[in-house]
Amino acid sequence: MSAVSSSGWLYGAIQRRRNRGLGGLYLVVAAFLILYAVLFPGILSVGGFSKFTQNWFPLALVTMAQALLMLNGGITLAIGPLVSLGAVIAATTMDGMFGVPGGILAVALTGLAIGTVIGAIVAHLRLPAIIVTLAGSFIITGVALILLPRPGGFIPDWLSNTLAGHTPVAFLLLVVVLLLWKAFLATPLGLGIYAAGDNPVGAFRSGVPVERAKIAAFALSGLLTALAGLFVAAQTGSGDPVIGAPFTLNSIAAAVLGGVGFLGGKGTMRGAICGSLLLSVMINVMFFLGFPPVAQYVAQGLIIVGAVAVPELLKSWRARR
Amino acid sequence: MTDQKPLLEARQVFKGFFGNPVLKGVDIALRPGRVHALLGENGAGKSTLINLLSGALQPDSGTIAVDGKPVGRFSPAAARAAGIAVVQQELSLTADLSIAENIGLGAFPRRFGLIDYAELHRGVREVCAMVGLTEPLDMPVADLALGRRQMVEIAKALYRRPRVLILDEPTSSLSAHEAGILADVIEALRDRGTALLYISHRLNEVQALCSHVTVLKDGGVTADQSLSGIDGEGLVRLMVGRETGDLFPPRAAANPGVLRIGVEGFSAGLVRDITFSGRAGEIIGIGGLVGQGQEDLLLGLYGAIPAKAVKAEVSGKPGLPADVGAANAAGLVYVPADRKHEGLVLPHSIASNLILPSLGRLARNGFRDRAAETGLIAELAKRLTIKGDVARPVQALSGGNQQKVALAKWLPLDPSVLLLNDPTRGVDIETKREIYLMLRGFATEGRLVIIASSDTPELVHLCDRVVVLREGAVAAELSGGAISEEAIVGAAMGVDRKGAAA
Repeated sequence: MSAVSSSGWLYGAIQRRRNRGLGGLYLVVAAFLILYAVLFPGILSVGGFSKFTQNWFPLALVTMAQALLMLNGGITLAIGPLVSLGAVIAATTMDGMFGVPGGILAVALTGLAIGTVIGAIVAHLRLPAIIVTLAGSFIITGVALILLPRPGGFIPDWLSNTLAGHTPVAFLLLVVVLLLWKAFLATPLGLGIYAAGDNPVGAFRSGVPVERAKIAAFALSGLLTALAGLFVAAQTGSGDPVIGAPFTLNSIAAAVLGGVGFLGGKGTMRGAICGSLLLSVMINVMFFLGFPPVAQYVAQGLIIVGAVAVPELLKSWRARR
Repeated sequence: MTDQKPLLEARQVFKGFFGNPVLKGVDIALRPGRVHALLGENGAGKSTLINLLSGALQPDSGTIAVDGKPVGRFSPAAARAAGIAVVQQELSLTADLSIAENIGLGAFPRRFGLIDYAELHRGVREVCAMVGLTEPLDMPVADLALGRRQMVEIAKALYRRPRVLILDEPTSSLSAHEAGILADVIEALRDRGTALLYISHRLNEVQALCSHVTVLKDGGVTADQSLSGIDGEGLVRLMVGRETGDLFPPRAAANPGVLRIGVEGFSAGLVRDITFSGRAGEIIGIGGLVGQGQEDLLLGLYGAIPAKAVKAEVSGKPGLPADVGAANAAGLVYVPADRKHEGLVLPHSIASNLILPSLGRLARNGFRDRAAETGLIAELAKRLTIKGDVARPVQALSGGNQQKVALAKWLPLDPSVLLLNDPTRGVDIETKREIYLMLRGFATEGRLVIIASSDTPELVHLCDRVVVLREGAVAAELSGGAISEEAIVGAAMGVDRKGAAA
């Protein structure tokens, strides 16, 4: 027990500790995956696995984008519109003079810029994130509709086939994104996002640049969201100015399923990723079992409320014993 | 040693919040190799001064100087760079991060832009050994008890290798053993030439550790002197003593009436097993340091938090009120300290705030009776000397006038017992006087007024009896001539006083 206090690998020990409290979630995710594999054995082939992870990938990205802000004590309602805008920009720039690299760069810069502006407004004007991002969501939706009033645009076939074809490229990209997140969390600024979410006054007094951490969180969140939009455009082969709409609430739902708290500093990114996987599997299962869409929404809602309530009930039950 | 140049100074600093001056021209100089005590009652401005010295706040005027050189915009990061570390009273820890990460937060060693966990481990191990933290360093701070978290906070300050270390009530949640370790650490740092500022309400610690003292009172420095040859009572005397003028109404001859509240073996929240009684016509003060159970005593009597008593009688009936409704029915009303959040609906008008508790009583056939309401409002406004238009929102009023509204809204219910939690906090002196007159008037009408207060002169000059709480128990019960600032402060701090009526 005290091995770590005297010697040993501190970073590894801290990472192992972060799994604590997630055991139940891991079990549930594993159970759902097994159920899914039993119902649809196709997932065990390369093609099936690729399709499955492609359905999950954009939700995983926007869940990370949402969790990043929730860990920092914020939230964003602009996820869906920003996914749409990312898709629209991808579909309208890739036939331009800089081609696909130019398009990817344009999407990434748009996401970063919008995130930075929203973050700066929230951090420096001290306005509530929920209102600023709500206003932002209207503006971003409007811009997407101006750029591309109806679905269309151009995505090269080879890009669609690379990202959303029969190879698990999306899964590998997700692994890369997760590794980059791990690296970011091992920087002072990365931990600063956590600290500023849990105890902003304490973090400020400790010398953490709280405002910069907040702006960085919004900027990274915007980047991830816009890239999710790029992926969605590649998946569908075109840009659609309202395609992102369901992602706003799904990103919150997945983060909450993964144990990320609303008040900041509570939760882990690995939990959020598991939450998005769980939600993705549930949506797939209900879809393939032929649930009518309305029933899907109701079931989704009940599962999310349950996911939040069960740990609380368990806690109070343990406390009473 | 004391002729050495100060490492950190405040020179004639002023600081106010929302037009309310907190520090009025304070000087303090922290010199190397000296433990400097900062004393003062609640609200004297100690925390504000610490925040100025550590860059968390900027002075309105005056300067902060490091090594004799004034610094411009001082931030926590700049303070850290200058070698200043603070052990905060309110912990600056992040619950979900590990002990090691918390200690390094804001001062992480870096390698290629990443946190150098190996280097962090080395440094953290060293400071944890100094303060006797043996818990695994990867453990989240959320899993530690409060006292251990305080030790992490201390280790965090030490990790920054400070030249100036400020400790704000570091021992309030520590065990005796932990406090002993801290005392050793402080002495070691002092001998190494660190300048220390030590804030504590435990005077024996101050005497044991410190060699110099600055006393703050009402935002000014009343003493800045060596501690040699000063005993506990001398310290208390330095902290009290001021002109009271004719702020307080004359005390009527003590003529207590029937028993309104009598409890034995009463426990609620922090309050443990106390005996307490109050009679009609009395003003009883509840004193003590912040958070010794004063609020819990009032809330327990009011039925707002779970309470139990071996024997209890309230308004002639046996037993404690089960809930707030029962307490109201028994003639008890409670005016909270946080009038902005608990006592008033700020954006609503003065008039609607005044009639809020009476709405049900004034209704006729289930509808509001506007004429009766208008009459009541006019009467209350006159009685309270609230000037001007009662249709203005309450938030437009000064703090003192807001408090008058929070008090007055209960009068139509004709309460027999008023429970007041710090009613004059943040209230200007003129309005204080009006509130005191009002309270004395209530007592003369035969009501019982119980007032928890952090303002010692108020307890001395307004109250007929004062109960001093310390750690949830009655430290002293004073009445008549035995009520003095020295007696109250002494009892609150646990100083053994010879010859005091306790």
